[in-house]
Amino acid sequence: MGRMKFLCDIERCIDCSGCVVACKEGNHIPVGVNRRRVITIGQGQPGEKSISVACMHCSDAPCIAVCPVDCIYQRDDGIVLHDKDACIGCGYCFMACPFGAPQFPSGQVFGARGAMDKCTFCAGGPEETFSVKERKLYGQNRIAEGKVPLCAAMCATKSLLAGDADEVSDVYRERVFKRGSGANAWGWNKAYKNR
Amino acid sequence: MKKILLPSLILFWAMTGIAIAQTPENLTTAYQQFNAPFTGEWQQYGELFTSLQKNLFPRLFLLVITTVPVFFFLHYIAIGPMSFPHDGKQVYCYNLFVRIIHWVAAVSFSLLVLTGLLIIFAKLIGPGNFGIAARIIHLVSAVIFAISTIPMFLFWIREMLPALYDLQWMMIMGGYLSKKKKPVSAGKFNAGQKMWFWLATVGGGVMAVTGYFLYSHQGDIEILRLSAIIHNFLGSAMVALFITHLYMSLVSIKGSFQSMIHGYKAEAELKILHPKFKY
Repeated sequence: MGRMKFLCDIERCIDCSGCVVACKEGNHIPVGVNRRRVITIGQGQPGEKSISVACMHCSDAPCIAVCPVDCIYQRDDGIVLHDKDACIGCGYCFMACPFGAPQFPSGQVFGARGAMDKCTFCAGGPEETFSVKERKLYGQNRIAEGKVPLCAAMCATKSLLAGDADEVSDVYRERVFKRGSGANAWGWNKAYKNR
Repeated sequence: MKKILLPSLILFWAMTGIAIAQTPENLTTAYQQFNAPFTGEWQQYGELFTSLQKNLFPRLFLLVITTVPVFFFLHYIAIGPMSFPHDGKQVYCYNLFVRIIHWVAAVSFSLLVLTGLLIIFAKLIGPGNFGIAARIIHLVSAVIFAISTIPMFLFWIREMLPALYDLQWMMIMGGYLSKKKKPVSAGKFNAGQKMWFWLATVGGGVMAVTGYFLYSHQGDIEILRLSAIIHNFLGSAMVALFITHLYMSLVSIKGSFQSMIHGYKAEAELKILHPKFKY
């Protein structure tokens, strides 16, 4: 069994937010919920870098540890999923998560939060695979179709990698080896400055 | 010469190290710079909240709702309830206004305790919509309790101020550990009632503020994490004293439940339990 992982290559990410849009549209995410977002540091300055963040599908995930109804669980391949029918919307997972992944739709009675929503690695939920209910609650189940998650599949620069951890790290290692790192890293300086 | 060479070498080494680390081209540095917006200050309260909620809070509440009733059950068997003749002179202690306020607060607080425990042990009792309903009832009763606490606080604050003789009451645990009816040192309210009063009003205020943050889920995540920690710790103390108050009023002192309905207490009881009360 593999171990599913996301990896964002910050040398390639161009802050286009295509992954965010693909996730929202492809999974019919309600307004105000962002399963994925892009963070940029040093905006407009030399060395600006961006990273795309969703649920990191942690080993020993803090959200699983704190959930009072045990509705969050981890599959054998490392994907962290949750049961929306059991969730009581207490928000503890949001407080425990280092990455701000759990999201809560609002707008119910007394402004109560509904069930938590987060990145499913496009692997659906506890409902029957490809069922209407699964699609309605959790979005597409692309893993069961043998595809990578929507965000990684559409990433124009292929900076967002998703899949088996060994494969992903092989791809990334090859890239880093080819383009070099530190002072030898491929970029403007190497291409033009010293010519 | 060697004495200068070695430190300057180390200094040069450190300086180049810092210079390389600060170059934005360095991948590791860039990943490190992401840490602040990426995971925030998780190590501060996030890690603390996670480990407390994982290891302590459910167990703490389980401990409170099991050991406190067991302790009082043993007290009931070993020492038993106190009974005073109620046919003698009656003293008017609680006026209608106070009684109404007390019962509004009592009902809403009981609901708060019940729904709060239901949320903590939701995996055993009711996940899903049942738990969401518990959270909504928790909110509504919290608002009612918060409103009813303000007049209660203002009405009783003078009589609830701590006094020196409260220490004596604490030393003998209010005389509840012996069967003898010896006058204890207490005014209109004894030290136990005072503790309960201050925890319910001031502690209730803290619970209201932290609970507002938890329910609204707005604002800084560090404040949310800290609110959850405070709300749980304070909540466990309030549940413990709530059970104590239930035992004292319903079981331990015969007739004290009725005194909160019609407002009268027997003089014989006051002479023993509240001898410093000037009525």
